[in-house]
Amino acid sequence: MKVIIVGAGEVGFHIASHLARENKNVVVIDKDPAAIRRVSDNIDVQVVIGSGSSPVVLKEAGIKEAEILLAVTDSDDTNLGACLVSNLISPATKKLCRIRYADYDEYHEALRENAPHIDTIINPEIEVVKKIFRLMSVPGAVEVNDFADGRVVFIGIYLDEFAKLSGVRLSDIYAKTGKQSPLIAAVVRDEELIIPRGNHKLKAGDLIYFISEKEKLIESLSIFDKNVEPIGRVMIVGGGSIGFRLASLLEKNSISTKIIEKNPDRCTELAEKLNKAVVLHGDGSDQELLREENIQDMDVVVTLTNDEETNILTSLLAKRMGASKVITKVSKFSYIPLISMIGLEQVVSPRLSAINTILQHIRVGKVLAAKSIIDEQAEVMEAVALETSEIVGKPIREISIPKGALVTGIMRKDTVIIPTGESVIEPNDRIIIFAKKQAIPEIEKILAVKLEFF
Amino acid sequence: MRWSFILNIIGMLIIFLGICMIFPLFFGLYFKDQSIIPLAQSMGITIGSGLSLVICFRRTKVEHISHREGMAIVAIGWTAIGFFGAFPFYLGPEFSTFVDAFFESVSGFTTTGSSILTNIEAVSKGLLFWRSFIQWLGGMGIIVLSVAILPFLGVGGMQLYKAEVPSPVPDKLKPRIRDTATVLWKVYALITLAQVFLLMMGGMDFYDALNHAFTTMPTGGFSTKNTSVAHFDSVYFDTVIIIFMLLAGINFSLHYQFLRGKPLAFWRDSECRFFLGSVLILIVIVTFNIYGTVYETIGQAFRYGAFQVVSIVTTTGYASADYELWPSMSQLILLLCMFLGASAGSTGGGMKCLRVMLALKYCYKELFSLIHPRAVKHIKIGGVPVHEDVIRSVLGFMGLYVGLFAFSSVLIASMGVDLVTSVASVAATIGNIGPGLGMVGPTDNFAQMPYLGKWVLIWCMLLGRLEIYTVIILFVPEFWRK
Repeated sequence: MKVIIVGAGEVGFHIASHLARENKNVVVIDKDPAAIRRVSDNIDVQVVIGSGSSPVVLKEAGIKEAEILLAVTDSDDTNLGACLVSNLISPATKKLCRIRYADYDEYHEALRENAPHIDTIINPEIEVVKKIFRLMSVPGAVEVNDFADGRVVFIGIYLDEFAKLSGVRLSDIYAKTGKQSPLIAAVVRDEELIIPRGNHKLKAGDLIYFISEKEKLIESLSIFDKNVEPIGRVMIVGGGSIGFRLASLLEKNSISTKIIEKNPDRCTELAEKLNKAVVLHGDGSDQELLREENIQDMDVVVTLTNDEETNILTSLLAKRMGASKVITKVSKFSYIPLISMIGLEQVVSPRLSAINTILQHIRVGKVLAAKSIIDEQAEVMEAVALETSEIVGKPIREISIPKGALVTGIMRKDTVIIPTGESVIEPNDRIIIFAKKQAIPEIEKILAVKLEFF
Repeated sequence: MRWSFILNIIGMLIIFLGICMIFPLFFGLYFKDQSIIPLAQSMGITIGSGLSLVICFRRTKVEHISHREGMAIVAIGWTAIGFFGAFPFYLGPEFSTFVDAFFESVSGFTTTGSSILTNIEAVSKGLLFWRSFIQWLGGMGIIVLSVAILPFLGVGGMQLYKAEVPSPVPDKLKPRIRDTATVLWKVYALITLAQVFLLMMGGMDFYDALNHAFTTMPTGGFSTKNTSVAHFDSVYFDTVIIIFMLLAGINFSLHYQFLRGKPLAFWRDSECRFFLGSVLILIVIVTFNIYGTVYETIGQAFRYGAFQVVSIVTTTGYASADYELWPSMSQLILLLCMFLGASAGSTGGGMKCLRVMLALKYCYKELFSLIHPRAVKHIKIGGVPVHEDVIRSVLGFMGLYVGLFAFSSVLIASMGVDLVTSVASVAATIGNIGPGLGMVGPTDNFAQMPYLGKWVLIWCMLLGRLEIYTVIILFVPEFWRK
């Protein structure tokens, strides 16, 4: 499969390395020679220097043979241009366009439906806001992903030190708690990803990934000693476009919101656009201001400024001053693994969100969603089981599922089945698969249509 | 630097080399000559040593090879390959000392073509095939080949490729390095096959045709005959070999484009035009210089002049005539040709046309800006501006090349070798050509060189093949600092 990526920025770079690791043919286009050099020095991909919206450059990159074009530069105009031009040269290529500017918001649907040259719009900011909202609703979760239209959630939580499950084998959970345990897909201990078996003993400090029906989520969380409390008060630090989007969403859900922004002009603008939210002019790292605004009573503090270091420090400060839950925006990938070490568990990254959105379009087979988790070490995919796929019609036990992968959920019409070895996947079921990155190429193979049908 | 990792990969390369020894062994068995035992022994030694390296330094999971490690693997790997490739020679009856065998082996892998042998035709067929075969392996790069066919290198293949096939302006034919390497080797093998076919059409037997094709395409220059190509004395063979030497001297990505149905690829590439243009001009000059003085007819002068110019410019090093009998102007031109070399991305050596072109353009730019001090002017290749960094690295390369050439020839001269031989032997080895002038001319060989001189020349050949930086970097103290 050939993929052309326009834009060698952070998103382009990481998508490229993600795909190159899966042995896909990737070509990266950027006009900045320094950015291109960073790509060609580090990743096994082809590079072309030039503007991504230039037909000559796109042709040189081989757009005609490409199956997917990802326009992910920082400039919306370039992205739109690249998709338009690619469509002229190669209509068969699937084109994904990253759009950041909020003015386009109303037109996303129209662009997707009416503009023939764009197949999908990617807006990392909208994705991030959605993710923040999901994280708010699940206490202690570091990862919340919705599948099957929100009926199934895939959750990652840390096991607290005094949790009753600490030191308990998976097979003993029922005996210990009297409740049916949700399906635990993976455990991360000492940065190592394990797919646990029944005799695996949980330990405090483990990062546990499990899958649960949305309705049973509260019960599932209580097994891990996490109790869902309604969110009433939120403080947002940084009134950029993500901050604004989040504030409007919270307003709609009648959650009392305070938003701190440094730039006075921006404050005026925010105050004009927002109705109920309190807009505060000031520095988010100002202790006095935070205390004045009762930070200790906040249910959630979200730091969303454009400066990574400020976000991290403000989050630490808020946590120390008594905020019960802190969500931090971090864009630099190299920071993400460090964040949990300093006690900030809930992190969002616009770039990671963009990557997750893009992934599902790249996966072969009828994949509806694909989320990269645990520093891109694994992926959760939701796919439709095609009639001709070899996973259909026999017990899961008998399917040759690659090592490091797990079928974690089956949705048949309105019912959700948490599978056992005896479950049978029927055609057109939607299945959720958890896979380590090594297993992904194999998984793509079994999800795809069997060859003899061609 | 993760040494165990580096040694592990080198171990794999050595095993791979050992397996390659099976091919000359086939010839040895077919001709039932005395090369069977040395080849079988060397195969055992090589595979055994490789295996023990791999076993001693078992690999912890590593996905990424750093730039530095890539260079170390290639530089040390090539030395090791030269070392183990020498065993069949050393264990055979023809080579008395190990340094001679090592010299012959490195000369083979680096596609130099300088030989120690005085009587080539007396050597067993299996061993002679090994001598040609290692040139063929070294031409496109034995590490590139292993990147192409061995899966173990994975992502790291890219760093190795860059260290083994240095080019001022890197071009990747395919998105993935493994595919690029595979494509290059396929093109290489295809052209070689065509040459074998054409040589056999002219009446050469399969063994000689294969050997000569295996040493023409990598621009190597080992022949199975004492008098090299002159042995056949045939216009047809001379023509075929001239054409294939030229093909080997052209960037292989152009061959790929040509085969993909772009017939104008050669013409559109400015380096290729420069290369073919300079070859043509040099042929004309040499032809007129030797016409009347050495050869009586213009046809003969052209035939030998063209063959020798192409042979030296592409750094092949075949001889169809003893050019030491030519006027000194022609000899000097041939000596200077050794520095020019073939195109970047070809199997030829020397400084490479692209670099010379860039340097000439740079000189012109300097002169231009003396006349128009405020002019803004870019150096362009094929209409595309070349980045400052590239120019700088090219000038650095040429400086190092000339500097190392001067240093090594002084070293050789200090051993009591005469002036012409010292200069020519170093020029011929650092440029991977083969024969030089004086004591090491086309009818002589390197056997009489002093013992230490051989080591110096071995080092020159490796420098030339890996384009200086990859080898010389190992001698920079900074490289070893943690």
